Amino acid sequence: MARHRGRGISAIEYPTGMNQNGDPSQAWIKIKPDGRVDVFSGTSDIGNGSKTIQSQIVAETLGVPYDWITYDNSNTDSSPVCTGTFASRATFVAGNAVLKAAADAKRKLLEIAAKELEIAPDDLEVVEGEVVAKGAPQKKIGVPDVAAAATWVHGELITGTGAQLKPYAAIVDPETGRVDAPPHSAISYAACAAEVEVDDETGEVTVERLWQCFDVGRAINPTLVEGQIQGGALMGLGLGVLEECYPYYPSADHRGGEFGSYLAPGIKGLPAVDTIVIENPSTDGPYGAKGISEMANNPQPPAIAAAVYDAIGVWVTELPITPERVLRALERKDDGPRREGKWVIFDDELSVNTVAHADSRFRFPLGV
Amino acid sequence: MKAVGARLPRYDGVAHVTGRTQYVDDVRVPNMLWAKALRSPVHHAAITGLDTAKAEKIKGVHAIVTWQDVPKLVYGHLEALGIPADEPLLAKDDVRYKGQPIALVAAEDEETALEAVAAIDLDLEERPALFDIRKAADPDAPTIHQWGNWYPHFENEMDVRQIRKGDIDRAFDQADTIVKGVYRPAAIEHVPLEPQTALVVPEPSSRLTIYSCTQALYFSMGVVAAHLEVPLNRLKFVGGTVGGGFGGKVDTATETISALAALKSGRPVKWRWTREEEFLCSSTRAPWHMEIADAVTKDGWILGRKMLTLHDSGAYARFSPYGLTKHSFHHTGAYTIPNLHFDGYVVFTNRVPTTAMRGFGVTSVSFATELHVTRVAEVLGIDPFELRLKNANRIADTSPNGVSYTDPSTVPTILAIADAIGHELPADYRTMTRDSRAGELLPEHLVAQVGEVDH
Repeated sequence: MARHRGRGISAIEYPTGMNQNGDPSQAWIKIKPDGRVDVFSGTSDIGNGSKTIQSQIVAETLGVPYDWITYDNSNTDSSPVCTGTFASRATFVAGNAVLKAAADAKRKLLEIAAKELEIAPDDLEVVEGEVVAKGAPQKKIGVPDVAAAATWVHGELITGTGAQLKPYAAIVDPETGRVDAPPHSAISYAACAAEVEVDDETGEVTVERLWQCFDVGRAINPTLVEGQIQGGALMGLGLGVLEECYPYYPSADHRGGEFGSYLAPGIKGLPAVDTIVIENPSTDGPYGAKGISEMANNPQPPAIAAAVYDAIGVWVTELPITPERVLRALERKDDGPRREGKWVIFDDELSVNTVAHADSRFRFPLGV
Repeated sequence: MKAVGARLPRYDGVAHVTGRTQYVDDVRVPNMLWAKALRSPVHHAAITGLDTAKAEKIKGVHAIVTWQDVPKLVYGHLEALGIPADEPLLAKDDVRYKGQPIALVAAEDEETALEAVAAIDLDLEERPALFDIRKAADPDAPTIHQWGNWYPHFENEMDVRQIRKGDIDRAFDQADTIVKGVYRPAAIEHVPLEPQTALVVPEPSSRLTIYSCTQALYFSMGVVAAHLEVPLNRLKFVGGTVGGGFGGKVDTATETISALAALKSGRPVKWRWTREEEFLCSSTRAPWHMEIADAVTKDGWILGRKMLTLHDSGAYARFSPYGLTKHSFHHTGAYTIPNLHFDGYVVFTNRVPTTAMRGFGVTSVSFATELHVTRVAEVLGIDPFELRLKNANRIADTSPNGVSYTDPSTVPTILAIADAIGHELPADYRTMTRDSRAGELLPEHLVAQVGEVDH
C-alpha cells in the first residue's frame, strides 16, 4: 500500500458559435441627453459575465467610460433577438452585435458633433468621452454636450443597431460529412497538465495541481477569463473523479437526488491551478476575442486519467475515476491489451463487439 | 482609459455577492397560484387511464392541465434544423422515462397542489425498459421510441452520422501498429443553484408575461409560441439573469406548461422544481460510448482513425442529433488525421432526456481522443508531448469535414504547458510553430490535406 504520484497532459480544441452557424444576435443602443449609454441586448447572463463583456465592448467602441454604460437584457419587449447563451457564443457572436451597434451609434454621434464643431465627421474621433478633431486636439466637444445638442438643438435621437449572423453551413455530403463553409465562427485551443496522487489501497485519486494554457484570441476582461478557466477546472474535476447521475450505469438505479448523494465539486476542492492565457487574435471576433467558456471543463478529465496511468500503471477509461474503478483496474493490472497481428486492443470487455448481439447493427469495424 | 483588456468589475457582481440579485423565484405577484407536477413513476409504460376529476374537486385547486390542454402537443426544439418533433409536452399515450410530466396542478399553495397530484388517477401498463445503448440494436431489444431505438433523420434520412475522408483501408494497411480503446464518460447533472422555475402572469391585455430562467430568451419564447400557437406579441419573456445553467436551461422545461395553467386558471402561476426534481427529472449531460482505433507508424504519425460513437439520448431527441454532429466534426481533436471512418448513432433509452451541457458534443471526444493519444504514445514508447506536437493541427491543415484551419494554437499551447511544468523537449520540437507545414515538414501522408475549404 502506497501513495503514487503521476502527471498527464492533454491538448484540446473547441468551436465558437453554434455548430453549422445560423445563430443570430442583435443589439441596439440609445444615448441619453447627458451622453450616458443604454445598451439593449437579448443575451442571458448565466454567470459567464456577458453583461460585463458586452458593456466593455460598447465603452471601447464608443470611446466612453465603462461606468457610463447601462446594460439591459431583461426582457423581449425592449431587447432584440439573441439566439442564446450557449455554444460559447456570448462574447464572439453577441459581442460582435453590440460592437456593430456601438459603431453605428458612434457614426451618428460624430454627425451631430460635426455640426457643433463645423468639422467633417471623418476628421473626428472619440477619446475618453470627448469628440476631438484628429490632429487638432484643442478642437473638441464632450460627448455629453453632443448628446444634449442632439436632444435640445437638432431634434435627433442618437441610436445604433447591430446584428451578427453567419449563415447556416449545410452538410453538402451526408456520406462524408463534407461542408462547403466553416461550420463555426472560430476555434479555440488549450492544453493542460494534471498532477495526481493515487492511493493504491483505497483507490482514491487526489488532483494536486493543474496547469492550463488557453488561447483566448483576446482577453476582453482578463479577470473574467481567468475565472472561466478556474471555474471550468472545477467542473472538469467533477467530470474526472466525482460526478455521475447513474452510479451503476447503464443501470438507472441508485440515482442521487440531493447534494448529500451526488458528488458535485465544491470550491474547497479546487487544487492549485496555474493559468496561462495567450492571445492570438481571431480574424473576425470583437477585438480579436474567441469563446473559451465551455471548453474550460474539457482538458482536465483526460489529463487526470493519463496522470492516473503514470502513477499506478492502469488505464481507467470510464468516467468518473472513482475509487471502485481504480481498485478494479488494479486487480486486472497484469492482463494487458489483446494483441492480434499489428493490433493492440484495449478495453475488449467494454466494446460493442463483446457486449452487443452478433447480429447488432452496432459493430466496430475491426477488420483484423 | 481602455475598456477592452481591463480588469473591470463585474457588471452585476455587487448584487450577486450581497444577495440582492432578483431571480425568478424572488418575484411574487398578487393572486399567484403554485404548481406541482404529476410525473411518471416508472421508466416505460403505456398510459391506460388518466382521470383528474377527483383532484379537481379538492378545495384550492384552480386548474389541472394535461395533454388535452396543449394546442400543439408535440414540438421539437430544433425543428428549424431538420430534427423532427418527437416529444409531447405532457405525456399522452406513453411514458418513456421516470419523471416524465403527465399533468400540472395549479393551486392556492404547494401543499394543496401536491395533495391534488396524489389524487389524480393514473393507470399504467408497464413495459420493458432499455438502458444499455450498446444493446439497443440487438434483435431482442425492447422497442422504446416511435422511430425505433436510434435516430433515423439525419440528411437523406440516414440513421447514422458519418465522416469519411481519405483512404482508410490504405492507412490501416500501411500502419506499423493499430491501437484500439473504448471510452465512456458519465451522465452528470448540471447542478445549477437555481432549479428550473417559471412564473407566468396573464395580463389584462391578454398577453402573457413569462418570468423565465432560460439561457435563451428568444429561443424559449419561440418554443412557447409554437406550443400555444400564438404570435410573439402575445408573449413577453422577462429574465436575462440566470442562477446557473451550464446548458440545462436551454431546455424550455417549465415555461409552456406553466403558461397553460395560467391560461386555464386565469391566475398567475409559479412552478418551481424542488432540488430532488432538478436532480432526478431535469435533463443531464449525455453518457457516451466511444471506440477508437488509430493506425500509426512506429515513429508516431497517426495515419488514420476509425471511430464508433453511441450517444445516449435518453427518451427523446431534443438536441442530441445536433450534439452528435458537432462531435463528429471534432472527432480528431486538435490533430490532423488524414484518413477517417467515423460512424455515430443517437441512441434512445428509457433515461431522462439528455441535453446540452458545457462543451456539448466535444467534452466526450476530448476525453476519448486525448486519453487515446496518450495510450498510443505509451504503446509506441514515444514522449506524449512529442507525439502530440508532431500530429498537431497546423495552419492550412484540414478538419474532418474538409475545412481549412486558419488559426490553430495547438502547438503554442502545448509548448506553453511543457515550459510551465519544466518538461524538456528536443530542439526541433521546442522550436515548432503553428505555421503551415512545407518542404520536409510535410510528410507524404499529409500532402493531400492542405487547404481545401478556405475560411
